[in-house]
Amino acid sequence: MRRPKALALAVLLALPPAARSLAQSAAEVQEMPALQELMAAALNEFSGAQQSRSIVQWDELVTRLEALRRQAPLSPRAKDLLVQAYEYRARAYYGTGLQDKAAENFRALIQLQPQHALSKERVSPKVVDFFNNLKKDLVGFLAVQSKPAGAKVSLNGEFLSLTDFFPLEVLAGSYQVEITREGYKTETRDVTIAPKVTETLEVDLMRTLARFAFVTEPAGVEIWMDGELRGTTSGTLAPDQHEAARAAGLEPTRASARFELPNVTLGAHQLEFRRKCYETVKRGLEVPEPADFDAPPVKLQDSVGSLQLSSDPPGALIFLDGEAMGQTPRELERVCSGKHRLEVKHASGKFVQDLTIARNESLSLDCPIRPSLAFLGVVAASAAGERLVKEAEERLVPDLAKIKTLNFLTVPRELLDRLLESERVSLKGLIPGPGNEPDTIRRVTEKLAAALEVQGFLIALLPEERLQRTAQLHLLAAGNTVSDPTSVTFSESASYLRFLSAVDQKATAYRPWSGLITVDTLLHDGVPVLRIVPGSPAAAAGVKVGEVLYAADGQPVKRTADLLRAIETKKPGDRLALQLRAGAAPRALELQLGVTPQEVPLNDPALLYNKVMIDLRQQVDGYPGTETAAFARFNLGICAMHFGDFAAAHEHFLKAKVELPNRPGLSQGSAAYYLGVALERLGYKREAAEAYKTASAYKEATLFNNDGPAVAPLAERRAGGGS
Amino acid sequence: MKCAPRALAAAALLLAPTAWPQSSPEQQAKSLLDDGRGYYAKGQYKQALDNFNTIVSGFPNTESVDDAMLEIGRYQAEVEGDIEKARGSFESVAKRFPQSDSAPGAYYHLGLITLDKARSGAELDDALAQFTRVQRLYSKSDWVPRALSAIGLVHRKAGRLADAVETQRRVTLEYPTSDAAALAQYEVGHCLALLGDARGAMEAFQQLRNAHPQSEWAARALERITALYRLSEGTRPFFSHDTGWSIGSGDVLKDVDAILMTPQRTLWIASNKVKAAVPFDKDAKMGPSLGAEDLRSLSLTPKGELIVASRLAARFGKDIKSFSVPTNKPGEQEPLERITAALVLPGGDVLVSDLKRKRVHRFSPRWEYKGPFPDAKEREIVRMAQDGEGGIALLDADEKSVRVFDENGKPLRAIATKGAGYELKKPADIAFDASRNLYLADEETGVMLFAPDGRLLAALPADEVKKPRALTLEPAGALLVYDEKTQKVLRFK
Repeated sequence: MRRPKALALAVLLALPPAARSLAQSAAEVQEMPALQELMAAALNEFSGAQQSRSIVQWDELVTRLEALRRQAPLSPRAKDLLVQAYEYRARAYYGTGLQDKAAENFRALIQLQPQHALSKERVSPKVVDFFNNLKKDLVGFLAVQSKPAGAKVSLNGEFLSLTDFFPLEVLAGSYQVEITREGYKTETRDVTIAPKVTETLEVDLMRTLARFAFVTEPAGVEIWMDGELRGTTSGTLAPDQHEAARAAGLEPTRASARFELPNVTLGAHQLEFRRKCYETVKRGLEVPEPADFDAPPVKLQDSVGSLQLSSDPPGALIFLDGEAMGQTPRELERVCSGKHRLEVKHASGKFVQDLTIARNESLSLDCPIRPSLAFLGVVAASAAGERLVKEAEERLVPDLAKIKTLNFLTVPRELLDRLLESERVSLKGLIPGPGNEPDTIRRVTEKLAAALEVQGFLIALLPEERLQRTAQLHLLAAGNTVSDPTSVTFSESASYLRFLSAVDQKATAYRPWSGLITVDTLLHDGVPVLRIVPGSPAAAAGVKVGEVLYAADGQPVKRTADLLRAIETKKPGDRLALQLRAGAAPRALELQLGVTPQEVPLNDPALLYNKVMIDLRQQVDGYPGTETAAFARFNLGICAMHFGDFAAAHEHFLKAKVELPNRPGLSQGSAAYYLGVALERLGYKREAAEAYKTASAYKEATLFNNDGPAVAPLAERRAGGGS
Repeated sequence: MKCAPRALAAAALLLAPTAWPQSSPEQQAKSLLDDGRGYYAKGQYKQALDNFNTIVSGFPNTESVDDAMLEIGRYQAEVEGDIEKARGSFESVAKRFPQSDSAPGAYYHLGLITLDKARSGAELDDALAQFTRVQRLYSKSDWVPRALSAIGLVHRKAGRLADAVETQRRVTLEYPTSDAAALAQYEVGHCLALLGDARGAMEAFQQLRNAHPQSEWAARALERITALYRLSEGTRPFFSHDTGWSIGSGDVLKDVDAILMTPQRTLWIASNKVKAAVPFDKDAKMGPSLGAEDLRSLSLTPKGELIVASRLAARFGKDIKSFSVPTNKPGEQEPLERITAALVLPGGDVLVSDLKRKRVHRFSPRWEYKGPFPDAKEREIVRMAQDGEGGIALLDADEKSVRVFDENGKPLRAIATKGAGYELKKPADIAFDASRNLYLADEETGVMLFAPDGRLLAALPADEVKKPRALTLEPAGALLVYDEKTQKVLRFK
């Protein structure tokens, strides 16, 4: 059996919230559980062998409820308890033979609730008769009819019933009867009810407000009157109204059911009919009299535009206002006019933009996907630095938000704490360094990246120092175990510029290429051609070894640097005009620049390798199966070597070797060579020698770029055990 | 006038600020170290040494003391030339501060000392071990690329040129922005040139110029490319008389026994007419001369100082030294009175050729006699030259041949009296270019160019030089020949 308190609580909780809160005073709320419990105990006692023993409990219940009643009107529930308490106390007294006391209680009950009746099933007929006889002397009857019916009848401000109703028991006495109905003038009557007498009131109510009926096409249209929402049309039009709707220019199958808007005051009003993706219709309304009206049907014109979305890389998921809309490239038709939030998400990053579409506008948008960088916060290396964490964060974030090539976002602290707690790691534990496990960092950053949909992280560490004015920014690509630390000084924007410039530097895996190898000498005015890479643009253009190049695009070439500069300003596919001399005979040629892939330098202090890795991963994820992705993966291997992670490097080169083309220049053989380097550094000498041997078979493969040193001789040496 | 107290305090505040950042010993020591390194770079060695010594004695517990000790070792090795003292300093750093940033530097320098003196395979292996230690124990240190490049130098010295190329390539590929990268790239080119791959060498030198245009090696690379291009491109090495060029006049060009071009493009002319070695700068402007009787030959020490050999003595920079060798009688010394040439070897030993005893004599850096070179056989050596790779060429006027030996006296190669396309009748002078090609002036048969394997590569037309008595090379490979007949220095570019 449940404990009474729990039962009471269950009862309390079972009541709908509106009922619970109806006219409940704070004191009543506080007392109610105890009262419920007392009621249960009293009922229990009442049901027992000696009913009279329950009187003490009924006394307490009545006393407490009457005390509450004196403070404030009781809620229906509390009133019900009091009524029950009086009834049971009366019955208990009756049972003990104290009829006066019983009558006293019954009278109090009737005064409290004149319509109360004792249950003939549960209560003995004698008691029922006793009660009814008492009642007869106390109550009369009141019947109220109104035109129209359905009006609310209140006696002295207390609701009685809705018209039209049969005579209801009312405590004898004088009352002010109020009959109210929305849209009608309130009527009041004074009436005196005598015991056993029925008083009847018939009231004609005077209408004061109008009612309008609307039909809209389509349904689901909001009706705003004078700036206030009054309702929304819905449903479908009844068949008998189709013809009328058609005649009014509506398509009946699209029209709404009749919507009635009651209680419209007389006079002028402004109406607006609104629905998303439709043009708002505005109408003025003049209400001359309180009557029912049928408003002219309202047809809304759709207000949509279209959105053509493409992304780089393609295949990104489109979310418009949080709703999935497919993948890029895609044309979205019937996009509602107005403001929208567009998110285009890819494994390698995302594009986010708020946009506005006008009616019938066709908007084309290129959505360049950018990796996202989450700023995880500031940690202090020592307790002394804790006091500066908040200030540091306030100063750092606005400057860091200037990063252009990444989506920069801050992470809500509660979310971050929750995520870190679930992995049992602190924020400081994510900063690579002594005492922090690389495997933990790798695992947690990968999980964080998936949860936050980001590709990298930034954590600021306040180092142990006296002045406490610097922060060390640790940039960490998801899944990497070594960060790129950069020191910045809070108050010096110059120190941020360096960092921002390094972060915004995009890793390029390609550059324009000619295949023309020239040398500087003191013997020539110009640069002699030393070598032409087979299959290169220079070879295709017919440049010959031994010719002296003296101008490119009309600019003098005195040194090879001049030629390289001329090429660097161009893009692959551009043309370069060359002036050459063979002996005394000059000649002019045009060369169409090709493209050469480029290795990321293995140890360049100017590069933030974690940022380079983020960019490269974007290429791998964004262009799977392409040469771009293959070279990006190759360069990820180089980055892994930079961090000394030869196991990861091995994995990358193994994949790159399969994915890269087999052709002259930076290619499969290059990956084979570096695979050997990685195996060698991992201590697998035999496997390394095998890899070098494989690499040495790629006679035309190079390192660094298409013009770089040949792989074969280097690999042969290393296969033979060269150091 | 008394200042109000508030103004005094303000004045004190204005005077004080720079004092605060210098207050800690650590910062003071760091400041001294940085300044000392700056002095060293500018060649102000005494001031530099003072700074380093102050750190060691005055700030012994700071983090800069190991760096200072390392710098002192460098000074001892590079400036004082006291290798043993330097070794002691480096060993002390390695022993006392094994975990510091300077420890790998100490091992690196110890390796360099060993490499410098190494003459045997075992000594080269010792040097290799020092450099490899840096790589293995301090893999993240800034010294690693330098150590790796030094390993390349070990390979080169051991004659393992292909290994040297591969090692230096690794430095350029794996550490492209380190301060060892430019030298490493130069070494790639140099080793390829020594291997006979002229095109590969030129390309490597050009890559150096492309990647490190501001480095000191870029200018040298240009000279190397020019020299190589001249010799290798086209069907044969090409020299044409630069008729627009001339230098000196009058007695300076009379009775010239030797000419020498320094890397700084100063041309020294040893004229017995004016009894002096006379310098001309790159603008052909004459400088202060060095007087001497019976001038015989000119050469350079490994540090680039001029050696003027005359009959009775040799001048090494500012020092003039005469030489004596033991006679058959114990304790007795005999002066060398017919000196023809003098050389300083990379290890510091000195070779002096003498026509009276018909031998080349070897002396230690402290002038202690070490014996004949390469052996006790009699030879009339009138000229000596070094090929830059440990080879020492001896021009025998009697045998009319050139023989090349290593520092230990082991014969390496030779140019015989007669060969395909040439004959030596009265050889007078020899010089090597950076690729070990040998230029020979023969007063009767003219000027010839020989490849390292002894093949004749080219000869100047006989009518261009009547009686070549002496020759030298410009850094970019142009040839200067003293024609005794016309008493002119001729230039061939």
